[in-house]
Amino acid sequence: MSLFVESIGFGLLTAAVLALAAVGFTLQFAVTNVLNLAYSGVMIVAAYAAYAVNQAGVSIWIGALAAVAAGSLLSLLLNNGVYRPFQRRGTPPVSMVIVSLGMLLILVFGTQAVAGPTNVSYVMNQGATLKAGSFELTVAQVAMIILSIVVMVLVHVMMRYTRLGKAMRATSANRNLARNCGIRTDRVVTITWLVTGALCGLAGAVFGMNAGTFGATSTDVFLVLILAAVFLGGPGEAYGAMLGALVIGLATEISASLIVSDYKDVVAFVILIAMLTVRPNGLLGARV
Amino acid sequence: MVYYITTILVYGGVDAIACLGLSQQFGTAGVTNFGFIIFQAAGAYAAGVLSLPPDSANGAFQSYVGGLNLPFPFPLIGAALVGGLLAIPFAAIVGRRLRGDFAAVGLLVTAVMFNLLVTNYVPFLNGAAGLSLVPSPLQDVINPQSTGYQWGYSIAAVLLAFVTYRFVRRITNSPYGRTLRAMRDNDVVADSLGKNLRSLRTSSLVIGGAIAGLSGGLLVGFINLWDPQAWGYAETIVLFAAVIIGGLGNHRGAVLGAILVPLAFEEATRYIPPVPNDPGLVPALQWVAIGLLIVFFLWFRPQGILPERRRVIMGDRAGGAVAPLAPEVPSRGAVATAAVVSEVAPAGAAEDAASRTPPPDVNLPAQPEPLPVRVRRPPFAGDVILECVGLSRSFEGVHAVDDVSLSFQRARLSGIIGPNGAGKSTALAMLAGTLPPTAGRIRYRGEDVTALPAYRRARRGLVRTFQLASEFKRLTVMENLIAAIPDQRGETFRGAFLGRRYWGAQEREAIDRAAAMLERFGLSALADRYAGDLSGGQRRLVEIMRALMADPEVLLLDEPMAGVHPRLAHQIGMQLVALCEAGITVVMVEHELSIMDEFCDPVIVMAEGRVLAEGTMAALRSNAEVVDAYLVG
Repeated sequence: MSLFVESIGFGLLTAAVLALAAVGFTLQFAVTNVLNLAYSGVMIVAAYAAYAVNQAGVSIWIGALAAVAAGSLLSLLLNNGVYRPFQRRGTPPVSMVIVSLGMLLILVFGTQAVAGPTNVSYVMNQGATLKAGSFELTVAQVAMIILSIVVMVLVHVMMRYTRLGKAMRATSANRNLARNCGIRTDRVVTITWLVTGALCGLAGAVFGMNAGTFGATSTDVFLVLILAAVFLGGPGEAYGAMLGALVIGLATEISASLIVSDYKDVVAFVILIAMLTVRPNGLLGARV
Repeated sequence: MVYYITTILVYGGVDAIACLGLSQQFGTAGVTNFGFIIFQAAGAYAAGVLSLPPDSANGAFQSYVGGLNLPFPFPLIGAALVGGLLAIPFAAIVGRRLRGDFAAVGLLVTAVMFNLLVTNYVPFLNGAAGLSLVPSPLQDVINPQSTGYQWGYSIAAVLLAFVTYRFVRRITNSPYGRTLRAMRDNDVVADSLGKNLRSLRTSSLVIGGAIAGLSGGLLVGFINLWDPQAWGYAETIVLFAAVIIGGLGNHRGAVLGAILVPLAFEEATRYIPPVPNDPGLVPALQWVAIGLLIVFFLWFRPQGILPERRRVIMGDRAGGAVAPLAPEVPSRGAVATAAVVSEVAPAGAAEDAASRTPPPDVNLPAQPEPLPVRVRRPPFAGDVILECVGLSRSFEGVHAVDDVSLSFQRARLSGIIGPNGAGKSTALAMLAGTLPPTAGRIRYRGEDVTALPAYRRARRGLVRTFQLASEFKRLTVMENLIAAIPDQRGETFRGAFLGRRYWGAQEREAIDRAAAMLERFGLSALADRYAGDLSGGQRRLVEIMRALMADPEVLLLDEPMAGVHPRLAHQIGMQLVALCEAGITVVMVEHELSIMDEFCDPVIVMAEGRVLAEGTMAALRSNAEVVDAYLVG
């Protein structure tokens, strides 16, 4: 029983990291219609950016800001330099996925070429272990969960109450119509890449903190979790991605405690494939 | 040195076979299988456990299932079988309705997960350590270390690659291959013409999977070991890079790509000395280069080094290898051709100047000759052939079609008009099965077809066209037409495999029929052109002709005259009337009222998802409500 409760704690932690990543991914898809598989590549580059700052003796919590900046900038470059030119040419979505896979290779193995094949760890203080019954997390872990919740609230406020959020929702619903209504969709798309890139970068840094040690290829399997969360909530749905992250985070960690931890990601995979085959628009999305 | 050359040859053969499998699957059928590498892996593992002794041998230092100790060639055959069988469950992911990029992602994720599972579950295939000491074929007879064996193996690998090449070429150049290419270019349209997408995709997956499995079995017999590191998801991307760089839809290109990318780039550079202090640098940079190659090629030369070959069918008959847009020979047929071609409204400024010259004065026959269309049933006018009751469809709360009940009489030319957004095209799509209704029933020939998928309705003779351009772009005009013919002998995998001797005679008939159709519409000169290169009006004609080739009993036309010169539109109208007289039922959505006036009876008026009125145009013009809603504008 205690193992089960403990796994809920870890599940929340995984969900926190996953939510940051999945919301960014799903918003990118909503506004630009690109399934950007290079997303996990951007994450890992950002995680290494935070590592570089951290190595210079700065706290990782400040270093995370470097990850945010790196993710934001890199995502913008990726869209303006690669995806947008391809899309303007009328490249079909499947070819866009191939392009994004090419970019994924470039980012991941470019990082490996620069940083070397050995895994790295942040220098960070986990803080005291907080206990509530058999529910235990370190201060740093609790801080990650709180950070994620704060960011989710900010995303909610942005989507619901700001002009930018409304413009993003309009652009994702129908880009041409939005443009004809006077929304500068190109600018909305650019800002979306900056914002989602920031989320991606933050997710990278938090992923690094949570993982303990990581290498250039560490986010390969994490991408599966991101995709599972995104498709569970319905691709393009920010709230769906949050819900998806919570479900996937808990499901993987609880199954790890119940079965064997080696196969915890398989649960996410099974959910993803089930969603793709039965309801590709997500639990909240429309039926096809 | 000999070992180096033979190793390169074997790897070359293996890579070429794998790339040919992917070329068939992706280049020909358009199935984006990002999990391709797991089929090669499955083949390698299958060959391994079939040829290995039980895992208690060699001091039980590795554990695996099987261990059947089978002699050559059973492991190799087993490899292809397992690769093919493994593909069957994947058909669920690339089913009929899933977006191509979603399916691709699903397959990619599957590849990642399979690798994780095999790595972690040691009893199955020895986990991360993988299989080793896999026996080479015939190693009891010849010493695998001998030069002779090495040469023999490499020659066998190259021969097997050649046989694979002949095999995929044979099936690609058949009617089956043409149908696959049609599906690749536009799957929704192929569906509406009676092609079973699920079975076509399944067969593509199985064939590609079997070929990939064969390549894996061939490889493991040579290198004698196989582990999860050898088939990371990224290896699939290498094969995709090879096929894209070599040329999509061209099997020679796939072989070239195999030589250029996996072989020259990966295997040959394996012997570059590692950088001191950083042994991982060269491999990492190789991956970066693969990524760059993909992006650069897709940008600068998306058709690849060897582009897909255009299939010239009418070349000899039309009198030249490439028929010009405006034929200059003033024979009777050619003049008619020139006239019709020039009557098609040009789509853009790039239109050939010759086609814009004013048409010579041609007397169109008052009573058009019958079209070369097979009529399924004897003319029997009057009874209701197609009807719908309470048909509704909503898109996220918007009622595009709201409780519409219609019935269409056999051998009549019915028209549907209405302002934009009236739900005309949505209604048509539901009648044809392209779009599932939210509510309501559809009956066709007295049978409830509401639950029937589009392709099965098309096979029963309920055929539609599309409002937006829907030609198969990378098929010639002639191929577009022939592809629509139902029940072709060579259209199944079996038929394709049996070869031209099996389907050739029927193919010649099909070509004759398509040629007659092209002549009637004056497009003979364009037979060998890519449909994607035609003007907008010409493409509409191709689409109508294609629908007629599908042996329709009911023809649902979505704005067939849009972008067509009025004179030609009139001619098409006459042809449609003739079709009705021959017993075919036509339902036409159209904006052009003069067309409705002249040809359609009855005419149905739709507005805001509902049927406003129905009757002859004359009656409708006196209906105040209809005039308010539509006719005034």
